[in-house]
Amino acid sequence: MKLGVLSADRPLVWMLPLVAMLVAFTIIPLIYNIWLSFHEYAPFRRRLEYVGFENWRMLFSDSRMWEALGTTMFYFTVVLLVELVLGMAIALLLDAEEFGFGFLRSILTLTLVVPPAIVGMMYLLIEDAEFGVLTYVLEIFGILDKTTPILATGSLALWGVMLADIWQWTPFMVLIFLAGLRSLPSEPYEAAMLDGASAFMTFRRITLPLLSKVIAVATLIRGIDIFRMFDYVFVMTSGGPGTATYTLSLYSWQQTFSFIKWGYGATLSLFTLVIILVIANLFIALAKVRW
Amino acid sequence: MIVQSKSSRTIRTLLGWAVVALFAFPLYYWLTIAFKDGREIFNYPPDVWFFSPTIRNFEEVFGISLGFGFGEQREVLPGGGNWRMGPRLWDSIVVAIFSTVLSVSIATLASYALSRMNFAGRHHFVSWILSTRMMPPVAVAIPVFFIYKELSLLDTYTGVILIHALMNLPLAVLLMKSFFDDIPKEIDESAMVDGASRWLIFRRIILPMVRGGMAATAVLCFIFSWTEFLFVLTLTQTGLKTVPVVSSTFVTSTGTAWGNMAALGAAAMIPAFLFILLVQRHLVRGLTLGSIKQ
Repeated sequence: MKLGVLSADRPLVWMLPLVAMLVAFTIIPLIYNIWLSFHEYAPFRRRLEYVGFENWRMLFSDSRMWEALGTTMFYFTVVLLVELVLGMAIALLLDAEEFGFGFLRSILTLTLVVPPAIVGMMYLLIEDAEFGVLTYVLEIFGILDKTTPILATGSLALWGVMLADIWQWTPFMVLIFLAGLRSLPSEPYEAAMLDGASAFMTFRRITLPLLSKVIAVATLIRGIDIFRMFDYVFVMTSGGPGTATYTLSLYSWQQTFSFIKWGYGATLSLFTLVIILVIANLFIALAKVRW
Repeated sequence: MIVQSKSSRTIRTLLGWAVVALFAFPLYYWLTIAFKDGREIFNYPPDVWFFSPTIRNFEEVFGISLGFGFGEQREVLPGGGNWRMGPRLWDSIVVAIFSTVLSVSIATLASYALSRMNFAGRHHFVSWILSTRMMPPVAVAIPVFFIYKELSLLDTYTGVILIHALMNLPLAVLLMKSFFDDIPKEIDESAMVDGASRWLIFRRIILPMVRGGMAATAVLCFIFSWTEFLFVLTLTQTGLKTVPVVSSTFVTSTGTAWGNMAALGAAAMIPAFLFILLVQRHLVRGLTLGSIKQ
């Protein structure tokens, strides 16, 4: 037992099931995906055929891919910023023991467990041009009327999708920031108060720097999920109207499963993977996030 | 920290309630839709506060005539109901439970080693696990679809359970590692001096101490499997479907069955709501993959 291959003193023995799963479901699919990106399905001959670098050449000259990349980046930037700022503002607001605030913090966790696909449906209904409650509110304020359906207007549809994302995940930021705020030491604040620092200066010079690790982790985790977002657009707009809400994830999925371009879809998904890995690892290195 | 006047505290309290009410409103509104009659859903301006509630949507979705209700009774098709959603709820439960058990077991073993044993490349191994969390689901779903096709795993419980277990592994491993890291290493060391083997220490001493952590990890894995969309959409056809995916089938060419969809959605949210309230203590640690402790 002590010197056997399966001895409990060997770390690999403990990690064997994990390594097996990761190899079977990440390494092998990755290799298969790379292989697939050099092939394309030929519908008439009903088989995959080798096409060399054709898919990769197509990728870089495909204007719809660039548009989808632009949409993804825009969505990523806006949603991440709004969720960070709004999340911080609400966390600061709720970081007190006023009447019922404990209850309010529990209520905020509820949005996190609704399936994103169902959140998409919810906002499809709320933003409906005929009977949506948001349409009604916007009409009261004279911002929009029923002749401009939010999700069917090219310039508005992406904002409609963003709203669903922001609603569901701002509470994620709030909860993480609240945990961060509660772990802060009180001495720097006492010193700042003695110096007569304004609330804004205290926040800017003390709270933000002390929370930097928490903010970095929240940004990383949310950022990854926002970049690879699929559920909301699939349910709410399927990329439309026109191509206004195509994200990279949706575009690669549709190329593979709707247009039977297996090789090209695989190429697109690999491209998405590379971008995420590069951005995320750059961020980890720059922000010095450690696990 | 900062002394506040009574009026500013009142404003803060009111503002806090108002902001959270804004976030809670869509959930409330969705719930009213679940209890609304077909025609009332399409009223404009929308009836937000007052309507005549009915449980017909629930009866239609799950095919059970509850025999009581607020509105008129409606004929419900036998053997599973008009939408036959009972079995789909079952699919969701089976997939979520088995994938959770699989993830948590694999992760508990591996993260014990990651937390307790020193070996070359441990840091790289953790980075590798973290980077699998970054993979876009499409980049996994596309190749796995073709691999499953070869192995006849498409449209099977095994296939979906395996992929959901994989999806939750980075979370489960990093989170469990943080719970193991909380336990002082001296406990292992002193037991080892007494001659106990690694396995015995793990089984008898350490494992009972991380039970709470395992429960929290399991709840989060369950919720993420319960809410997952893309893998189930891609890897199943008719054999099984989980609730999020089947909800999208309520959008038909003749219109969307909003009431039924809301009823199914509401029914699917309840278990997740209850679970999340159970693990609130560990929620932030879970959401940040073990890196921030509450």
